[in-house]
Amino acid sequence: MAAASASSFTSLKSRPAPGLATIAAVKSGAPLSFSFRRPVPAVSRLRISCAAKPETVEKVAKIVKKQLALPAETPVTGDSKFAALGADSLDTVEIVMGLEEEFHISVEEDSAQSIATVQDAADLIEELVQKK
Amino acid sequence: HRRLPAVIPTPPVSASPFPNPKSQYCCLSRNFSAALTPLLPVQLPSRMETHLWYVVPDEVKSAPLLSKYMELLPQSERDHVLGFRGDQLQKSALLARTLVRTTIARYQVDGHLDPRSLRFKRNIHGKPEVEWETKDGFCPPPLQFNISHTSSLVACGVTMNSLIGIDVEEKRRRTKNNILAFAKRYFTAHEVEHLNAIPDSELQQQEFIKLWTLKEAYVKALGKGFSSSPFNTFTIRVNTAAQESFCLPLNQASSGIAVETLDSPQNLTNNWQFALLELMGSHYVAICLERQETGGAGKAFPIKLTARKTIPSVEDELVSGTNAVVTIGGSVTQF
Repeated sequence: MAAASASSFTSLKSRPAPGLATIAAVKSGAPLSFSFRRPVPAVSRLRISCAAKPETVEKVAKIVKKQLALPAETPVTGDSKFAALGADSLDTVEIVMGLEEEFHISVEEDSAQSIATVQDAADLIEELVQKK
Repeated sequence: HRRLPAVIPTPPVSASPFPNPKSQYCCLSRNFSAALTPLLPVQLPSRMETHLWYVVPDEVKSAPLLSKYMELLPQSERDHVLGFRGDQLQKSALLARTLVRTTIARYQVDGHLDPRSLRFKRNIHGKPEVEWETKDGFCPPPLQFNISHTSSLVACGVTMNSLIGIDVEEKRRRTKNNILAFAKRYFTAHEVEHLNAIPDSELQQQEFIKLWTLKEAYVKALGKGFSSSPFNTFTIRVNTAAQESFCLPLNQASSGIAVETLDSPQNLTNNWQFALLELMGSHYVAICLERQETGGAGKAFPIKLTARKTIPSVEDELVSGTNAVVTIGGSVTQF
């Protein structure tokens, strides 16, 4: 899943193990730092990812705002965490479903679980779109 | 980040309303407002009991009280609470941490009553657990808990020994997507059929929410993370006949609920039992418990439930057996 990138937004991301996204941690009431994930050595989850195009991030933000009924002017950026915006586990699944429809992709449950931020979603979308 | 308003210290109470002030107040800070009462200690649930505690955020309005609650949390948890955007989200996050800390503290494990001293950790799969102090001779109790919250309800379930998962949701929660489209994507065929068979759209919506909470509760009880049990790999079966009742009159066991995993479809997974409650007429609470004992022929004893509404350190109210807590699924006796 590594991709070389010339983008100025290249980031070395340490991905958490597949498991519950932090969104469901909201549901369970546990702090983000106690989110319900299986701990996995960081090395095996390191991933060089090319940040998604701003348009993709925008589209994701729009879908998120719609799902969570946030006012249009709410600042939602790539860094915005779904959970912090108020998404619970049902919201997250609905958002993923919305993204699938918008981008004509199919998101595996495993991948869906690892989405914590808008950027995560946008990056995943672009990966899946590229694979098509 | 918005900070909750700082508490204004009030002068200490001169005459204690409690007969033995030392034991009651030993863990309270000097700044506790005179209006706060100490946490009422509670006996640990017996092996067969489940305790349900809940807070209604709309009933907790006092800024000084919320500040007090913040003071119970370690810095990491405070930061987490403040990371939520907006007062309402911060408040329910704060109440969730407060509820779990104060609830566990009430059980006075090893004589301790201070919610601040509790430490939490994750098990190997990431499920939150209490990290008890490992003092000589101290054997931690097999206390199990699980929390769930929405903006309008925060709940915590506690058992001794039995793995527990709980999930709460507003009855009137609506999905943005069409229910059947959603169910076809994420639920199992049987569940889609079950929903499809309901002609009234309002009832169908409610049934969807019930299924959702039951499925969440199951995965949370399993404690292995959602990726180990995607929702379309297990079916929640709701039987309208009281097939799982055990010596109970029909009006106490409205329906049996069971889980069936797709990889062993003929064997209903008997390890887990469920309760579905309607709380305050406004919320569904799904509870999933590991079965401890069976009453012969694979039948389970009903879940013995004690439900309490609380505003921690302010008031507690026993609500089981009242119309605040109505059993709508599973085999439950409330007391």
